[in-house]
Amino acid sequence: MERFTVELIVSNQYGVLNRITGLYAKRGYNIDSLYVNETENPLVSRMLITSQGDEYTQTQMVRQLEKLYDVQKVILMAQINR
Amino acid sequence: MKISGAQIVVEQLIANGATTVFGYPGGAVLALYDELYKQSDRLEHILTAHEQGAVHAADGYARTNKRTGVVIATSGPGATNLVTGIANAYLDSIPMVIVTGNVPLSIHGKDSFQEVDVIGITGPIVKHSFVVRDIKDLEHTLNEAFRIAQTGRRGPVLVDVPKSVQTDFCEYFWKPVHPVEPPVCPEFDAQAMADAIKNRKRPYIYAGGGVIASGASAELLELSKKLSAPVGLSMMGLTALPKDYPLNLGMCGMHGQYVSTTAAAESDLIIALGVRFSDRATGNVDEYEKNKLIIHIDIDNAEIGKNVTPGLSVCGDVRHVLAKLLPLIEKAENPEWLARIETLKKAEVEQVFVNKDYNPRNIIETVCKFSSDETVVATDVGQHQMWALQFYNFKTPGMLLTSGGLGAMGFGMGAAVGACFAGDKAKTVLFTGDGSFAMNLIELATAVTYKLPIVVILINNGALGLPLQWQHTFFEDRDAYSRLDRKTDFPALAKAFGAHGHRADSVSELEAILKDLPDDLPTVIDCQIEQSEMVFPMIPPGGSVKNIILRG
Ligand SMILES: Cc1ncc(C[n+]2csc(CCOP(=O)(O)OP(=O)(O)O)c2C)c(N)n1
Repeated sequence: MERFTVELIVSNQYGVLNRITGLYAKRGYNIDSLYVNETENPLVSRMLITSQGDEYTQTQMVRQLEKLYDVQKVILMAQINR
Repeated sequence: MKISGAQIVVEQLIANGATTVFGYPGGAVLALYDELYKQSDRLEHILTAHEQGAVHAADGYARTNKRTGVVIATSGPGATNLVTGIANAYLDSIPMVIVTGNVPLSIHGKDSFQEVDVIGITGPIVKHSFVVRDIKDLEHTLNEAFRIAQTGRRGPVLVDVPKSVQTDFCEYFWKPVHPVEPPVCPEFDAQAMADAIKNRKRPYIYAGGGVIASGASAELLELSKKLSAPVGLSMMGLTALPKDYPLNLGMCGMHGQYVSTTAAAESDLIIALGVRFSDRATGNVDEYEKNKLIIHIDIDNAEIGKNVTPGLSVCGDVRHVLAKLLPLIEKAENPEWLARIETLKKAEVEQVFVNKDYNPRNIIETVCKFSSDETVVATDVGQHQMWALQFYNFKTPGMLLTSGGLGAMGFGMGAAVGACFAGDKAKTVLFTGDGSFAMNLIELATAVTYKLPIVVILINNGALGLPLQWQHTFFEDRDAYSRLDRKTDFPALAKAFGAHGHRADSVSELEAILKDLPDDLPTVIDCQIEQSEMVFPMIPPGGSVKNIILRG
């Protein structure tokens, strides 16, 4: 199993964190680490989420995240092999 | 001009094209209901008997007239009663806007009376949801809700409007609502796709709800004719082609036609249009994918590669993609393949029913004979649903309202109510079972009040037939709690609601009743069948066509 990190640019809205972590839970993926911060633009936040999964999982997660209304951008970071 | 939040909600529903909404009042939406009262000549509100009926009605309404369904409910129990219907719309990609009331912001988050976290509860089953905390956001939020519900893969969007926002006032701008942008054709290498198709000798098209949603039936038919490719349908796509089109093999999968499932397995190419390869349709995925090229066209990028791995794919609206692809497709005859299909068709085992004279098949065929091509047919969930899908002669795309992804018993009665309002109160048929009907039959009251000519065909086997059949097959006949030892007199119950109620014990009795239906009242026809009638074929979960069971 590979660790992978996605970087998300999301609208800085009430409930956004819930929706994103809810998506991981609903699809059955565990979150190993989560990092959220505001950006210079108060309307958007940046998130880094690390979890584990094969290529299939990674692609699925990115595509499912892209469908969320509050998610503006999803970047799959270079994979860090354990 | 300053107007109230409640007024803004009503104005925005109207501005977004709503003419009929379904709902049920309560404390947290009384301000909104007061406005609905004042504006009743501009926006019709249909009061159901239960919020679940209202949300299924909004769903049936949306499926029938291809518009966004709207449902309104109060906070707490009103909102929780919507949950099954929202999940149903989500799994079948039905555009819907749900407006819930909530407690005033001043007592929000304090477990106040009738306060539930509706956003949290419905999070996994909506496309998106909003809480409107500031009345200034209300106009824009409602417009967004309609836009999201209708854009891309459609689905339900919930807007929670606290009571204090409904009663607040603010400047209203009557900003014009922008029509939803129609889908455009995505960029893709159509020539490469046409070339990949050309080299295949045994093409098969697997079409689903996306074909209905995008209105691509004509394109599907043209593709099938050009390629001499038989078509298998998912439950959601069942009405995409007329049943009597020779290359329409019918539904594939768990309770699909033998020929449809077998042809998929023997094909060397599956062109999948607007489907998501549900486990009910594919069975064992490894078997399903064997020895073939799969081309997947769907509007939802996350569906591509989710359940099967396609060799080629395009994310986009099926109709637009086909319009670009079709001119590049070369005509193919594939005589050997078509001969093989004919052989498979002949091998399709005629279903044998326990009762030769009066059984699900001739009941459904009789009802079909008394309906027009445009009659909307709703179903509930169970054996009766599978039989209706097998034996009813669907001619017009989208005329079937059935709970596909969720398989929710109780869907049918609400959906039929909604369909009546979408179709000028035209005759609407509901095929239901005694289990499913019992769940939401209270909506007969609604149908009587609004004079809806719903014909309820109760295929009554005194059992939860589908579980009973599974127990027979997989649990050595142990019939745990699936026989309904009830004494319900359905015709008398129908009459108690003010509807017509009959019992038909033969095809001729059924015909006599169907000949003489009221056009301003619902009719319940109790058709009692043998409890041991079963649905075939049947593929055990996770199995493939190798495991198909053709008779009992
Ligand atoms: C709300 C809900 N609960 C349970 C089920 C599981 N289930 C599927 S079919 C079925 C029986 C349906 O009985 P009935 O409506 O009488 O139809 P029949 O199969 O007898 O035709 C049950 C319990 C379901 N699909 N939906």
